[in-house]
Amino acid sequence: MGRALTSRTQQLLLVGLAALVLLGTGFLPLVLAALELPLAGAQGLTHARAALTAPATWALLVRSLALATSVTGLALALGVPLAALLAKTDVGGRQAAFLVHAFPMFLPPFLLALGWFHLLGRRGIFGTETTSQLLFSFAGVVLVLALAFTPVVTSLVALALRGIDPSFEEAARIVAGPRRVVTRILLPLAWPAAALAALIVFALAFSELGVPMFLRVRAYPAAVFARLGGVEYAPGEAFGLVVPLLGVALGLLGFERSLAARRSFPVLGLRQRATIPLPLGAWRGPAGGVVWVLAALSVLPVAGLTLKASAGGFAGVPAWIGASLNNSVVSAGGAATIIAALGLVVGHGLARGRAGSRLLDAAAVLAFVTPPAVLGVGLISLWNRPVTHVVYGSLAIIVIGDVARYAVVGVRTMAAAVAQGPVEHEQAAAVGGAGFGRRLFRIVVPLHRFGLAGAWLLALVFCLRDLETAVLFYPPGREPLPVRIFTLEANGPESVVAALAVVQVALTAIIVAAGAALLRRAQRA
Amino acid sequence: MTPVISLEDVWLTLGATPVLSGLSLALEPGEVLALLGPSGAGKTTVVRLILGFVAPQRGCVRLNGAVASADGRVLRLPEERNLAVVLQDLALWPHLTVAGNLAFGLEARGKPRAVREARIADMTRRVGLAGKEDRRPAQLSGGERQRVAIARALVLDPQAVLFDEPLTNLDVSLRRELLALVRALLKERGVPALYVTHEPREAVYLGDRIAVMGDGRVVQTGTVDALRANPVNEFVGRLLDDLDWSGAAKT
Repeated sequence: MGRALTSRTQQLLLVGLAALVLLGTGFLPLVLAALELPLAGAQGLTHARAALTAPATWALLVRSLALATSVTGLALALGVPLAALLAKTDVGGRQAAFLVHAFPMFLPPFLLALGWFHLLGRRGIFGTETTSQLLFSFAGVVLVLALAFTPVVTSLVALALRGIDPSFEEAARIVAGPRRVVTRILLPLAWPAAALAALIVFALAFSELGVPMFLRVRAYPAAVFARLGGVEYAPGEAFGLVVPLLGVALGLLGFERSLAARRSFPVLGLRQRATIPLPLGAWRGPAGGVVWVLAALSVLPVAGLTLKASAGGFAGVPAWIGASLNNSVVSAGGAATIIAALGLVVGHGLARGRAGSRLLDAAAVLAFVTPPAVLGVGLISLWNRPVTHVVYGSLAIIVIGDVARYAVVGVRTMAAAVAQGPVEHEQAAAVGGAGFGRRLFRIVVPLHRFGLAGAWLLALVFCLRDLETAVLFYPPGREPLPVRIFTLEANGPESVVAALAVVQVALTAIIVAAGAALLRRAQRA
Repeated sequence: MTPVISLEDVWLTLGATPVLSGLSLALEPGEVLALLGPSGAGKTTVVRLILGFVAPQRGCVRLNGAVASADGRVLRLPEERNLAVVLQDLALWPHLTVAGNLAFGLEARGKPRAVREARIADMTRRVGLAGKEDRRPAQLSGGERQRVAIARALVLDPQAVLFDEPLTNLDVSLRRELLALVRALLKERGVPALYVTHEPREAVYLGDRIAVMGDGRVVQTGTVDALRANPVNEFVGRLLDDLDWSGAAKT
């Protein structure tokens, strides 16, 4: 009895602490953001009402929704066939093509926009008046974001396709050709992954601040940003403007919940059974061409940045980078560690169906799909007080923002990893008398060490690429590298800004390479 | 007569493990050949070789006398072999209904809608699934799923059907019921079949001939009486002696 109580107490403490951190960083600020409007006072309410009743506000919201929908549609149109080709066929060099194609997913999209600018802008390498006009337009934003986010679709659908029981595919291949097997059996089985990818791309595109601002295309989140810290400073209006964003976020959460009810977690590639690639026959050459053109398009902006940076930009890096690299690494490292720890406790609970875990997961999803402008309003409201200045004036606020927005990365990664392992190991430990804490740290952590390390690395990359969250409340002198680049791009030396972007690319490449090596080890283990 | 399926001196190593070492066997027209062997003998690999998912490193696989795979190469793709299979885990496509599972192969072979519908109606009635055509696999019982898998294979009128231990893990009464159904369907359609099993009773009940597998090759082939009367080695003798012959006969 005493032992059972100890185990329950351990569980209560650990899960309670995780819940406190998760809800305190992510959910509470969202609640506060929603409450800002009713608490704004008469003058604040007047400003908010003015913002919300202006036709321009709703036109901008519709425009942003149309932008996100277009990006999502294009990313699906490109990503789903590409995933099928890369994951299931004998197309040449598919592993290398996948790595090249997927890499830009880990970069802040506005860096890619900057790269395209150096390629297609008026003074760009391939630039003309026409390419420049196309780039600085609604269509340009759609294309840049679609190319940036297509790897999200490709990766999730490819993982889902590789996670399908090979016998489904083999039973179909006995009677049907590759095209029919892919379109009638494999893709319908992988559709929940495609739907999840669509949700993520929509949320990211709708929240995107850097690309529309850089390409001078008006977007709703930018309007909120401008009223919080930009030239149109009007916090009362900002509080009003976040209300429709909360509605969109809740809609996205509802969609995600309906998906989660159908399928638990995507396979992360940690456990695979080999199937023979579908032979493309005479189509192998042309399909390979398409795959490599898309992969090249994904990394072309990085080439544009590198070329621009090599025109003397690297020499200026030490003078211009300031403390931003250090800020990035320290804040992202701290946030990733907290996210991995949250992922261990909440993700494990989610995989094992522990009571309350789905609610915590929903809170994490909500914080991710909600545009960071809303989260920013809530975090400012919560922490911008004299008594909490030690947090608000330091890197800690960036860590809190990152944990709030990206906790879902750790939770879902660990849930997927734990779900692939048998529960019997933990049950045997429980029967042997191990309490919750001992089971978690002596059984779950060693068994899922690769998953935990993967969660940490993935969270690190997401935090390192973040612009939208940190740009709203970074303390003076504490800006991470993406924010530094974003603030410099308007009036800093172009080649130096490009060189700073290359530093961000290199940092990301090192971490992604470490992640890929880890995945290979996990697959061999 | 030319065998429908023949494997000639097939060698295969997976990783560092030799799986098949000079295996030969032949499935004659109209017969049911039971491939009997203990777990881990390489029986499933034989099925995958015949289907074209694996190529033999040495030796060849022939279909109606024509080479389909040989010396590390798959010459005829799985979908070009006109075979059907009932797998151990059934592999019913979960997003398709019973009718959808049966129609998939017929559509791939370009059968007109009227032909498809007629064949599906006939086959679902024959396996006792009439009225359940619109259900998905998850809405069926274990026995009904087995019937769908059997119907999905036979509805195609293939040149041969392969069964890869499809009745493993079923209770005795359900296994008996399905064995009787399989035997009746195979005999009335005259379709040759290779029935892979580790269970001697099933081999004796279904097989016109039995090929006993051990050490990566077929050690003896013949009718059950011939094998019992003159086992080539102790392994074959023990495998068949373990049977309770009265029980097997009842089955």
